[in-house]
Amino acid sequence: MEHSPDDFQLVEAFRKGDEKAFEEIVRRYQRQVANIIYLTLGSRDEVDDLSQEVFIRVYRSLGRFQFDASLYSWIYRIAVNLCIDEVRRKRIRRAVSLEFFTERRLEAEKRVKERALASDDVLDDEKKKTVVAALQKLSPVHRTVILLREYEDMSYEEIAKTLHISTQAVKSRIFRAREELRKLLKDYFKERV
Amino acid sequence: MKTNHPEQLLSSYVDDELTEKERREISKHLASCESCRKSVEELRALRVRIREAADVTLPDNFVYSVLRSARREKENSVVWLGTERLARNVVVALTLFVLALVGLGTFFRPEPALRVDRYLITEPTDTLAGQVLGTQGEISKDVMVYAVLTK
Repeated sequence: MEHSPDDFQLVEAFRKGDEKAFEEIVRRYQRQVANIIYLTLGSRDEVDDLSQEVFIRVYRSLGRFQFDASLYSWIYRIAVNLCIDEVRRKRIRRAVSLEFFTERRLEAEKRVKERALASDDVLDDEKKKTVVAALQKLSPVHRTVILLREYEDMSYEEIAKTLHISTQAVKSRIFRAREELRKLLKDYFKERV
Repeated sequence: MKTNHPEQLLSSYVDDELTEKERREISKHLASCESCRKSVEELRALRVRIREAADVTLPDNFVYSVLRSARREKENSVVWLGTERLARNVVVALTLFVLALVGLGTFFRPEPALRVDRYLITEPTDTLAGQVLGTQGEISKDVMVYAVLTK
């Protein structure tokens, strides 16, 4: 039975010029990258372009990757840094469009919330959007840590290594992020759990 | 451990990140606390909801569009590197050429002619040289050599 190569073997093969190895890396992590971008930014509009940009950066820098963290932790950091840049750009755009910030967005959020709580027949999509909207309200620090735990299924130790913080800090941030999310989704849980 | 609703430990409990001792204590607490059982249920539900929300999929040709863009970028950077290298070589060659010209100019510059008066001009008037120059007559080679040697 043929075993699929591990990340180390793929990186080594890519360094020797094997582009198929890079294709495999993209296939392996594209879904995670796309969803981290989506959950971090709360919008699907930029997911394709930003995911592509993440992997282009990976392609550009993979030759210098030292395996001082796991390959995915490294890719994850590239994705999160890109999202931070995107949030900054958006903030500038929003500052220009006061109307968007003060009215349209608040109204849209209100509509999503109302629809999510309206009846048992709400669409799945709207329930998901409620959760994603709540994630957007967390501080970047709390959002990052909760996504690494809940979506990436990383252990506290892995999260600590990825974010260069102590496991105690991980434990405390995860707890606070969850408390905040539970407050934000209080009505949602009252109805659904 | 707090006896009343140990919320932070419940968070670590659902993550299976407690020590054996802590886990036993929490299990014991949960057996008698309905509020904490509900909290654990909510925390687990939260994880499910977040995972469900992450339902984005990329287009089937995503891998190929990444590769296409990455290759294009690599080709552009190769072209740019080539141009940069050529420009650098041209600058180095020009610099060497200019330096060579300056060096050659220095090498072939003629020595300035010996000017006798430079040695004599500050001589006091009562020296032989002064006397000789003051005569305004013909200066013989022997007188000139003597004048120079006695400066």
